[in-house]
Order: sequence, then C-alpha cells, then structure tokens
Amino acid sequence: MRANLNDSQQIAKDVSQSPSSLFILWREMIKDKLALISLVVLSCILLIVYGSALFLDQDKIVKVDLLSIYAPPSAEHWLGTDYGGRDILGQLIIGARNSFTIGLLITLLTGFIGLAIGLIAGYYGGIIDNVIMRIIDFILVLPFLMLVIVFVAIVPKYNVFTFILIMSAFLWTGKARLIRAKTLAERELDYVSASKTLGTPDWKIMIREILPNLSSIIIVNLTLNLAGNIGIESGLSYLGFGLPESTPSLGTLVSYATNPDVLQNKWWVWLPASLLILVIMLCINFIGQALKRAADARQRLG
Amino acid sequence: MEFLKVNHLKVYYPIRSGFFRRVVGHVKAVDDISFQLNRGETYGLVGESGCGKTTTGRTLIGLIKATAGEILLEGKDLAKLNRRERSYHRKDIQMIFQDPYSSLNPKKRVLDIIAEPIRNFEKLSPQEEKRKVQYLIERVGLHPDSIYKYPHEFSGGQRQRIGIARALTLHPKLIIADEPVSALDVSVQAQVLNFMKDIQTEFQLTYLFISHDLGIIRHMCDRIGIMYRGQFVEEGASQEIFNNPQHIYTKRLISAIPNVDPRKKQEQIKLRQHVEKEYKLSWQRYFNAEGKAYPLKRISDTHSVAIL
Ligand SMILES: Nc1ncnc2c1ncn2[C@@H]1O[C@H](COP(=O)(O)OP(=O)(O)OP(=O)(O)O)[C@@H](O)[C@H]1O
Ligand SMILES: [Mg+2]
Repeated sequence: MRANLNDSQQIAKDVSQSPSSLFILWREMIKDKLALISLVVLSCILLIVYGSALFLDQDKIVKVDLLSIYAPPSAEHWLGTDYGGRDILGQLIIGARNSFTIGLLITLLTGFIGLAIGLIAGYYGGIIDNVIMRIIDFILVLPFLMLVIVFVAIVPKYNVFTFILIMSAFLWTGKARLIRAKTLAERELDYVSASKTLGTPDWKIMIREILPNLSSIIIVNLTLNLAGNIGIESGLSYLGFGLPESTPSLGTLVSYATNPDVLQNKWWVWLPASLLILVIMLCINFIGQALKRAADARQRLG
Repeated sequence: MEFLKVNHLKVYYPIRSGFFRRVVGHVKAVDDISFQLNRGETYGLVGESGCGKTTTGRTLIGLIKATAGEILLEGKDLAKLNRRERSYHRKDIQMIFQDPYSSLNPKKRVLDIIAEPIRNFEKLSPQEEKRKVQYLIERVGLHPDSIYKYPHEFSGGQRQRIGIARALTLHPKLIIADEPVSALDVSVQAQVLNFMKDIQTEFQLTYLFISHDLGIIRHMCDRIGIMYRGQFVEEGASQEIFNNPQHIYTKRLISAIPNVDPRKKQEQIKLRQHVEKEYKLSWQRYFNAEGKAYPLKRISDTHSVAIL
C-alpha cells in the first residue's frame, strides 16, 4: 500500500519527464480544441500545397505572359494573374511550399546547431561554456536583419541554400542558450554522475542520457520557432531581400501590395497570400502553445 | 597492503566573486583527511550536514578532482593513472546514490539502465546481456520481467535496488554508498540495508558507507570515521567509538540518537544535558581558535581521537 502510494505520488511528480512524455504532449494537444483544429487545418493546407505542387511546373508558372496581365479571377486563372500575367494560384501553392520548406529547414538547421552547442556548453561548463556564451552574446548584438540585407545585396548569386545558411548562422543562438540552461540543470542530477562512474564517454552521456530528457522542450521550442522563421522569410521577401523573384514565395506575393493600385483594386494578387501566411502562422502558434502548456505540468488540462 | 588508502586528501572549492570572477577564497569541504579501508569491511563516514561526506565519496570515485592528497587503491594512485588504466580501475569502484529518483534516467528502461556499464566494458550479444541483467535484477529481489519497465513504475525502495543492481554489474570491489537509504521510508530502510549486507558477503564487497544517521551506522559498520567541518575528529572500530566516545563532538552525536525505550527517556535527557554542559565548558580542549579540530592522536590500536 505504501509502495503504491509512493508510486503514484512519484508519477505525478515527474510525469513531465516520464518516458511517455511525447505521448503526453500529444494527448494534451488533442485535448486543446484550438490546437486540434489548428493541427487539422495545417495538415490540410500542407497536404494540398505539397500535393498539388507536385503537379505544377515552377518554370511555367513564373513565365511572363503579357496577354493576361492583372487578369481577375476566372476559370482559367482561379485567382487571377499578377503584373507579369503569371498565375497567382500556382505562385501561391509553390510559394507556400517554398516558404514552409525554407522555414522548416532553417528551424531544423538552427535546432541542430543550437542543440550541439548548447549541450556542449552546458555539459562541460567552465571555460568552454564561457567562450561559447561570449560568442553568442556577440552574435546577438549584431544587427541581424541589416546584415542579411547587406549580404543579399552584395552576394551576386544567392539562392535558397545561401539564404537558409545565412539565416541559420544568426538564428541558432536562442536555442543554444535554452539547451545550455536545461543541460546545466540536468547534469547536476545523479543519473549523469552515475553514467560517469559507469564509464560512459561524455558524448554518449550528452546524446543518450541528457538529450532524451530535453526532448519535450526541444519540440516545443522548434514548433514555436517554425512560425517565426516562416514569418521572417516572408518578411524579408516582402522587403525584397528574400528569395529572387524566379522563386515564388508568400512574401513576394504580399509585396505586390506595395503598389497602391494593386492594393486597392487587385485584391486577388496579395490577399490570398496574406491570409495563408496568417493562417499558417496562427495554426503553428496554437499548436506550439498547446505543446508548451503540455510540457509544463502545472498548466496541464488534466 | 591496504585495500584503499587515503592520504592527506584535500578538496577545496574556489569561491569566486566580482566582475572577473576571481577566486577570493576556498570552501575547505575536505581538509586533510587520511584513512584506510580493509578488504571486505564496511567503513562508515558520519557527520553533520555539510561536513564533507559526499565530497569525500565523490572524490574517491573520481567525480570530483582532489585538490591535494593521494588515493591508493590496492597500492595504485588513482590520480596518476593514464586514461586506459583509469577506465579499467573505474570498474573497481562503484557508487550507490542517495536519491533513487534522480539517479535513474527516467527515459530509459531498466534493461538499458543496468546494461549501460556492460555495453561500456563488455561486448555481449543482446541475449547474453539480457540474461545477465535478468540475473542481476532477480538477485536484487525484483521480477525478471521488470527489465522492460521504466523507473517511474517502481517504488523508492525498488528503485534503490535497481541502482544497486547497476552498481554490481561490473563486479566492483568497493562500493561507495552515499546515504543510500535516507530518501526511503523507514520500513523500507531496514530491508535495503539488510539486503546490502547480504550482497556484501556474496560479492565480496567493501563498503564506504556515508550517513548522518548513527543508528544505521552502528547497524552496518565495522569501523567509522566521525567528520566535522572537513576533518576527522574521531576514528576507529565501531564498538569502541559507540561504547567509549572520546571527542566531545562524537559524544554529542551519540547522545542525540533517539532512544526507542520510553523507560530510558529520562536517562537520555540527563545524558544529553550533561554532554551539552561538558561541550560548553571544555570546548578549548577539542577545537583550536579557528574552530578546527586538532590532528588525530592514536589512543589504542583501533581508536584515534583529535585532541591535544
Ligand atoms: N560544488 C560546490 N561548490 C562549492 N561548495 C560546495 C560544492 N559542493 C559542496 N560544497 C560545500 O562543501 C561542503 C561539504 O559538502 P558535502 O556535500 O560534502 O557535505 P555532506 O557532508 O555530504 O552534507 P550532507 O549530509 O548535507 O549531504 C559544504 O559546506 C558545501 O557547502
Ligand atoms: Mg551529502
């Protein structure tokens, strides 16, 4: 009886890091109506976007067609055309795919860098930690957007990959800090000491012992970051410093609205893209918030 | 040759402060202690909270770096070994941790927890590995099927047994047990302690048993060392220290052991008052001006005290 009591108390205590924490994250998110709806909506959008993008030819879509400049929505062009006579719906789909893929890649890349560096800094501490933290401080004081803009302006041939790399080079710092802080706390726990006395090498302790205990935090952070990264990409493209026009992106479509005539009279050019950005970012954010709540035992819906 | 010999061990933690985080002083967590462990015995380390027991244990096993002093295991200085030798000798010393909750990784199954040292040192096939883990888990009194469960599915006492099974995996010679039962229910404590005694003979273990509970120490230990502020104040055979304590600090600790017998309660209170009076009167005899203990002085073959 006593053992049972202990057990259940303990389960209540460390449920956030119990083995099924990913399952708990999932369960909590399902309980959150808003997050569930967001998940369904987002899945549909992604399914449609990635599915139909397979059948679209990017080169054909970005080809200028002078005969149908600014055509309003019609049977041929469901969402009309832009100033080059290019089909908006096609651009929207390809653009959404590009924007999402880029956001995802940046998130994964920064997640990976931040994880590796954060783990090393937090696990070893001392001088290594100090040096890494100073480097991060330095990167954080740099004017990130300005440097990206300068980079885009001076590098003659930049494409999706250089864009992802330059973005990632700046955006890993927040994650590294977060992971470091969590690792610092985790390494004080006895299971890490136990692993050391059992002769487990440091890299294995970091990857096999500590990392699994950070999984829910990482998932939450990456999800919330994904929305932000899609936003940054769209924002930069909007300003004209993102992807070249030959690579459709949601931001490029929205940026057509800088022309007052388009903004007032040709809603089909920019409105769908704006709405799509809004919906995608909101959905991801709602999912992320639900995950965040789920990862924090005190805020669970039960 | 002694099994384990500790010579003038010192562990100082730097105190840093100021903008450049300069070292402004030291916490002398362990300040020049020497003792030895004989093969097969249980040596108890007792003292109030913060006196440096954990630091001593963790330094012996290599989790903390010693500031000065030697640790000789079967004549070999552990600090002077190269990498390969050290990892080899690592197997000889294992630890049972105080907190059975944080000492098992919540994300790993019992099988993976106990197999961790096997995977580091021996190349066994999955079947052999599983058989070995099951043997160990049965040996510590758990069901062989529990190897597929996760730590949170066990009670505190059961978890501590899993920790013990893990420590036994590499056939260590010395086990450092840092308050192995203080996180457990009183009813479970005796069970785990007796179990530790059983495996001691079976696996021919030497224990360094750390505790602040003199009752448990008396039950478990052949010899004990009483620590006070990083130093030893009294050391020797358990019997002698309990029956004939010499240092005032030891007397205080012993008089503070709760007595279960209600008839002796009055006696105990009187003893306590007596010791307190002696403590106030004869403080100078036992501690120097800085409040530190004097060097140990041998008063019999098996008993040393820190008095002038
Ligand atoms: N990492 C550290 N940095 C600085 N000081 C420390 C550190 N760890 C321990 N100390 C100090 O060293 C002293 C001894 O600590 P230790 O943990 O060895 O005590 P203990 O005898 O195990 O106490 P307890 O019975 O409470 O476990 C304490 O004064 C403590 O404040
Ligand atoms: Mg301690």
